[in-house]
Amino acid sequence: MVDRNKLRETAKEIISRDDVRELIGYRAGTYGFRARPAFVYDPGEVDQLIFTPACVNNLATYITLEEKLPVPKGQEPDLRKVAVMVKGCDSRALIQQMAENAYDRDRILVIGIPCTGVVDMDKVQARFPDVLGPGEISLEGDKFVFTFDGKVEEVPKEELLADKCKRCRYPTPLVYDILLDEEVAPFATDDYSDVEALEGRSQDEKWAYWEEKFSRCIRCYSCRNVCPMCYCNDCILDRLRPQWIRRSVDVSENTVFHISRAYHLAGRCIQCGECQRVCPVEIPLMELNRKLYKDVEELYDFEPGVKVDAPPLLSSYRPDDPEDFIL
Amino acid sequence: MAAKKLSKDKVGEVLRELSKFRLITPVKSDDVVIYREIGDPEEAFLDYGNSTVPPKKVVFPQTETLFRFTLGNPELREKNVEEEGTTVIFGLRPCDARAMSIVDKLFSWDFEDPYYLKRRELTTLVGMACVQPPSINCFCTSLGGSPFGKEGLDVLLVDMGDHYLFQSLTDKGSRLEEVLGSYLEEATSGDEEKAASMEEDAKAKIVRSIDPQGIPEKLPNLWEHPLWKRVSDACLGCGICTFLCPTCHCFDVQDEVEKGEGRRARMWDSCMFCEYTLHASGHNPRPTRKERTRNRISHKYSYYPKRFDVIACVGCGRCINLCPVNIDILEILEQVVEA
Amino acid sequence: MKNPYIPYEAKILETWYETPGDRCIKTFKVTFADEKVWDTWSHRPGQCAMVGIPGVGESMFCISSSPTEKGYLRFSIMKVGKNTSAIHELEAGDTIYVRGPLGNWFPLDEWKGKNIVTIGGGIGQAPLRPVIQYIRDNRDDYGELTVIYGARTSADHCFKDEFQDMMACGDCCCHLAVDVEEENWPHFVGFVPQLLMEVSPSPENTIAVTCGPPIMIKFVLQNLEKLGFTPDQIYTTLENRMKCGIGKCGRCNVGHIYICKDGPVFSYEQIKDIPEAFA
Repeated sequence: MVDRNKLRETAKEIISRDDVRELIGYRAGTYGFRARPAFVYDPGEVDQLIFTPACVNNLATYITLEEKLPVPKGQEPDLRKVAVMVKGCDSRALIQQMAENAYDRDRILVIGIPCTGVVDMDKVQARFPDVLGPGEISLEGDKFVFTFDGKVEEVPKEELLADKCKRCRYPTPLVYDILLDEEVAPFATDDYSDVEALEGRSQDEKWAYWEEKFSRCIRCYSCRNVCPMCYCNDCILDRLRPQWIRRSVDVSENTVFHISRAYHLAGRCIQCGECQRVCPVEIPLMELNRKLYKDVEELYDFEPGVKVDAPPLLSSYRPDDPEDFIL
Repeated sequence: MAAKKLSKDKVGEVLRELSKFRLITPVKSDDVVIYREIGDPEEAFLDYGNSTVPPKKVVFPQTETLFRFTLGNPELREKNVEEEGTTVIFGLRPCDARAMSIVDKLFSWDFEDPYYLKRRELTTLVGMACVQPPSINCFCTSLGGSPFGKEGLDVLLVDMGDHYLFQSLTDKGSRLEEVLGSYLEEATSGDEEKAASMEEDAKAKIVRSIDPQGIPEKLPNLWEHPLWKRVSDACLGCGICTFLCPTCHCFDVQDEVEKGEGRRARMWDSCMFCEYTLHASGHNPRPTRKERTRNRISHKYSYYPKRFDVIACVGCGRCINLCPVNIDILEILEQVVEA
Repeated sequence: MKNPYIPYEAKILETWYETPGDRCIKTFKVTFADEKVWDTWSHRPGQCAMVGIPGVGESMFCISSSPTEKGYLRFSIMKVGKNTSAIHELEAGDTIYVRGPLGNWFPLDEWKGKNIVTIGGGIGQAPLRPVIQYIRDNRDDYGELTVIYGARTSADHCFKDEFQDMMACGDCCCHLAVDVEEENWPHFVGFVPQLLMEVSPSPENTIAVTCGPPIMIKFVLQNLEKLGFTPDQIYTTLENRMKCGIGKCGRCNVGHIYICKDGPVFSYEQIKDIPEAFA
């Protein structure tokens, strides 16, 4: 667990630097056991910062989410760094963004957090529906400890751990300027058993399954907007000329939306799982992303967002790339 | 009209009777509760908190045809909502019904919206009182609503354990009561008094609140206040808070053509989307999430009451529960009060 | 009651280009396919209509003809996006669809007996044209009419022939400008707000109406105040992206005002304290 005082002292030093504009971290949420993104601009604001197993958000998204407004005449663009706290999985988004030249390495200051796993907040909410809080979650050994309203409850880690953490290969950030704690050794492996179970189904079964899921989609675009790899300024799914996908919401258009998005993430998705976490109608989007992730790993022996200097998979070519699937 | 009793073991038969109409109930799909038309009464999921997607979609579908046309033929064929027939929404929450009565004001203001108003006319709302607040973030009581609220409903059901107390509230409710006459019994004596005390208990269980007094007048004066940047820093610009809001009603209009057959349709749109206000020229009067968040809050808590004398928020808590980054409208409103 | 989302079928009578270039402006003169529509149609200067093509979409445009011009409506449309590009493809004889009239209008009845100054820039002259035409067609009802107009170059001027006519006719006082010096330009060189100061109209019993690019309006408003015009003597039009045109779809609001329904015409008095009006 990251020491809270150390976290805040480090943050204070960073935000006091002349070359740092803002620091993105976590703070307590407004109800229950939630944590949420925190934006710190001033050394006086660091005392809100936390890191706990409630810190589910992938903050790498904010690096590319910022709207670029024209710089007013007579003003210089603000080129100061953005400092960002990342877990192991989140750090992979930074690597992949930079591999795609989304921004330069010196634009950001990375505060790495070796992560021992975050909770599945839906499960926490279901377990403690009546807690207004704010309550706190910590990890002690193999138990999550919930402290709220003067009470303490322990729940086995396995019960409330987010699915993505159960197969996390990179708990320690793979890129950082400052690492806030000792490295965490990988505590899980990914055997793709979930993907294999889905692969085993017939085409009809798969279609029936996804038709039902996609029929629920309300096209709020939270999956796209939360995704650290969906940072196109002009998303093809919004375009009107030509219009690749209709605005009308039905299972056909919804399917085009989700399949297009999944393909655009092939070799790019770093498995932070944010799309599935935020989906209000619980479409299991990571099942699509993980299938593509597995294919990419098997075909090209490639994992996105792991090696700082690796070129993006689909914009690079090797003579020995497999091609037997090309018709 | 005197209150009635609907025994729980007759609910299946009642739903079967009502399926001669277009019958909409909450249904469970994985862990998500949504409203949709049901064929089999078994599909109805009445033991629920609140739905993820509000029942506004029944009267204001996410996508709906305005008219159809054939390319090369000048005739425009207007969509006939009447064909959808009499509709019953069975089991919606009082906040969502109240939201419809708030949105009615917009769709009947000045130009009447024929699609929405026809559908409202065709629809009977059978509400289900919230004996337990569906979520920790419910705050209906702050805005003039109640977990047992009747505004906008035609019938209110109260779960009394082995039966429901059935109170018809409007002419439409009376007509429904007649349709269901053979399944209803005289109300158990004391039920109404018991329901009144249950309402007080349910209200007392609502833990979150805001005093909206003064907020509508104050908001326009906070235009340049730094709070808007701070509360929108974490915003992802997605449509969850607006699409899932029972009073949000903004829409886009698009033409769609396939093989020479076309339609003009409208579909939900969100003021939180970048393209929402983007001019064809490329200019955007609300260029960042700051302006969009300010507009969302101002529209609900200032512009709407200024025009229609009611705040366009019923305190259902969906925008708080489902925001991916825990942007909390109550916290924003508290900051407005303190600013 | 008629469904307000269903447009009228109309025929294009005549088209011509006002200005050249990528963002050219083309004028369309149209009449309703069903003559009977004219029996119920009535619009006033400043009002708008949705113009479009089923299969492409529709957009809001001001009706650039005055109700005193009978038997047709005019729209002057700049090619900027999907809908306007498709509309620009149309020629005389083609079918187009018109939904309206929508929005409010310039209170020309209240302005009777007053002097009127119009200050326009570029395509912003389109909503001012019906005001000018209406006054010229009811000339005795109004005092002096002063028309101030400018665009980047003389080629970018809309309604060139009509300005020539007005200058010759003598029923109004017409002042033209181009932003940058060009050969054989006999009139003012400079921006519209500067020309306004040059003309320097008296605020006495006068209404000023301005329409044009936001930056022009900003300085015109400042200069009008310098000249002594009070906010209730100044009128302008606002625009925003619109879809329904009838105050439902939500997107065109500035503050609590729906431009499509409460506007597009506003006195400066009405909007000066709404910051979003000038965003």
